[in-house]
Amino acid sequence: MLRFIVWRLVQVIPVLIGVSFIVFSALYLIPGDIANTLLAMFYTEERAALLRAELGLDRPMLVQYGTWLWGALQGDLGKSLMMRLPVMTVLQDKVVNSLILTGASLLIVIPVSFLLGTTSAARFRTSFDRFTVFFSLLLASMPVFWLGIVLMYLLGVKLPLFPMSGMYNMANPGGFWDLMHHLTLPAITTAATSVAIVTRVTRGAMLDTLNQPYILAARARGLPRSRVIYVHGVRNVLPTFSNMIGLQIGYLFGSAIFSEIIFNWPGIGLQLYQSIIHRDPTMVQGCVLAVAVIFVLGNMTADVIGYCLDPARK
Amino acid sequence: MPTETTQDTGLPARITADEVERARSTLYFVWRGVQNDPYALAGALLILMFVVFALFAPFIAPYGPNEANPVLRLQGIGTPGHLLGLDAQGRDVLTRLIYGSRYSLVTGVAPVILGTLLAIPLGMIAAYYERLGYIIMRFMDILFAFPMVLLAIMLSFFMGPGIENLVIALVVVLVPYNTRVVYVQALAQKELGYIEAARADATSDFRILFVEMLPHVVSASVVYSMTIVGTIVVTAAGLSFLGLGVQPPTPEWGIMTSDGRTVLHIAPHLSTLPGLAIFLMVTGFNLLGDSLRDALDPRTRLIRAAVTKVEA
Repeated sequence: MLRFIVWRLVQVIPVLIGVSFIVFSALYLIPGDIANTLLAMFYTEERAALLRAELGLDRPMLVQYGTWLWGALQGDLGKSLMMRLPVMTVLQDKVVNSLILTGASLLIVIPVSFLLGTTSAARFRTSFDRFTVFFSLLLASMPVFWLGIVLMYLLGVKLPLFPMSGMYNMANPGGFWDLMHHLTLPAITTAATSVAIVTRVTRGAMLDTLNQPYILAARARGLPRSRVIYVHGVRNVLPTFSNMIGLQIGYLFGSAIFSEIIFNWPGIGLQLYQSIIHRDPTMVQGCVLAVAVIFVLGNMTADVIGYCLDPARK
Repeated sequence: MPTETTQDTGLPARITADEVERARSTLYFVWRGVQNDPYALAGALLILMFVVFALFAPFIAPYGPNEANPVLRLQGIGTPGHLLGLDAQGRDVLTRLIYGSRYSLVTGVAPVILGTLLAIPLGMIAAYYERLGYIIMRFMDILFAFPMVLLAIMLSFFMGPGIENLVIALVVVLVPYNTRVVYVQALAQKELGYIEAARADATSDFRILFVEMLPHVVSASVVYSMTIVGTIVVTAAGLSFLGLGVQPPTPEWGIMTSDGRTVLHIAPHLSTLPGLAIFLMVTGFNLLGDSLRDALDPRTRLIRAAVTKVEA
């Protein structure tokens, strides 16, 4: 088991190097002369020379990448071109805020999709099962930003139950419950698509498990149906489920970008949106790298958990 | 039914009907599965509606997409002469929604077609040549490390605005997923007798891949592509929602949703209706895609086969 964990850790390293290289080289996708494009109407020779020096464009690409990676490993992702602040300084708080949001969504996704997935499989082809399948199809088809806007309009404007913006009440910033109050709508919005996806996959895995001979054998030994399903059946679904949850961390961050924008949640997504609008390439790179690293590490954790939960391993 | 099928395939009589079911071409299962599925029909009708809108927009839409009547700006649903109201500049919402189906169809379907055309050879080559395949698949692993939306955002930000760049970004994003589907299929095919026979026969690698193996991997890839169109439609609209990709004043649904956000409390129809249009189109694609996938799924396939036998 320790060997598996170490092996999985080692596997992460080349992926992270590759990820950092792709994020770094995205700068070269900018069409034409990079300094020229970034400065646009403010272009002068001196400014362009300064910018090139700052971005390191005057050196060969691989040398630049080496310098950049070395800096990144020490927590230096360069300076935001717009805010004139180190990218890392800006990102620190945002990462925490985004983790709060995605963590809350994960707390919705895990129980809801697990219950819906396993129960609907256990009641295969009943009306409950059909409803779950159809409901998850509709949920999976909803654009996150639309769901956010609709929830905001219904529960923020029409029926003002929840606040529409930010993490805390500006006038009277309260503690935990204030945060929960602000968190509800963005967390539901972020969780929606993932609930649909995980429910479906869990249902599929559960159906597979319930069709296996050992389930039939357990029934034949006279074990009650509920025990067979919820003790013997569910255990074999856990590794798949854990794996799916790991993958969802990435999707949740993707959805969080939109719910953060709509509910004005000060996380990486909102920061990314502002950097896009202000055309701030170093900041965009920083946001993308941060999310990708969290995603890779999250997947790794989920793999290790899934491995520990796998009954077939024993 | 079962006796007929045995004659059709020309297989020796000792092969059971069950084995015939397994030997059927994938497309046969897809067709049989989709034919009698009300969900697939509903999906197809939804998509057909949007295709008609896209093709005949100038004839269906009551106004021009950028024709403005500033006097009636922000008027809601049910305004006389403007069924779905008007936006902040006084443009007819229904008209813009009808024109908008063009952009969402193109940005949803074009990347998937291009991506599939790239992924099929890539996946087969990766499966056939082990060392090259190792490199290709490790590279794909790196692309998998980015959440789909995030990679698309980064690429289209750095490549700049425009529908072409948007399509390219989406192709890059979905190629890894489709390649993996082809790769897994091709890897299984590679071990089968007919490939070995072709090799022993000194058939060229090109012929083995693109004549012998291709028909066996194509359907999985196509079905996968059908299931992902909906996701790509949402992603494309999401990018224009963020101000990337298609630019205003194009009547694109993502841009319309984003524009309407500032006036949500006085004119809620402006951002909710385009979102609803995206939702309907994506539901259409997902209904059809799921039906196709179920038709191919060995579990449901066997159930259907059993049902067919009982009926026959």
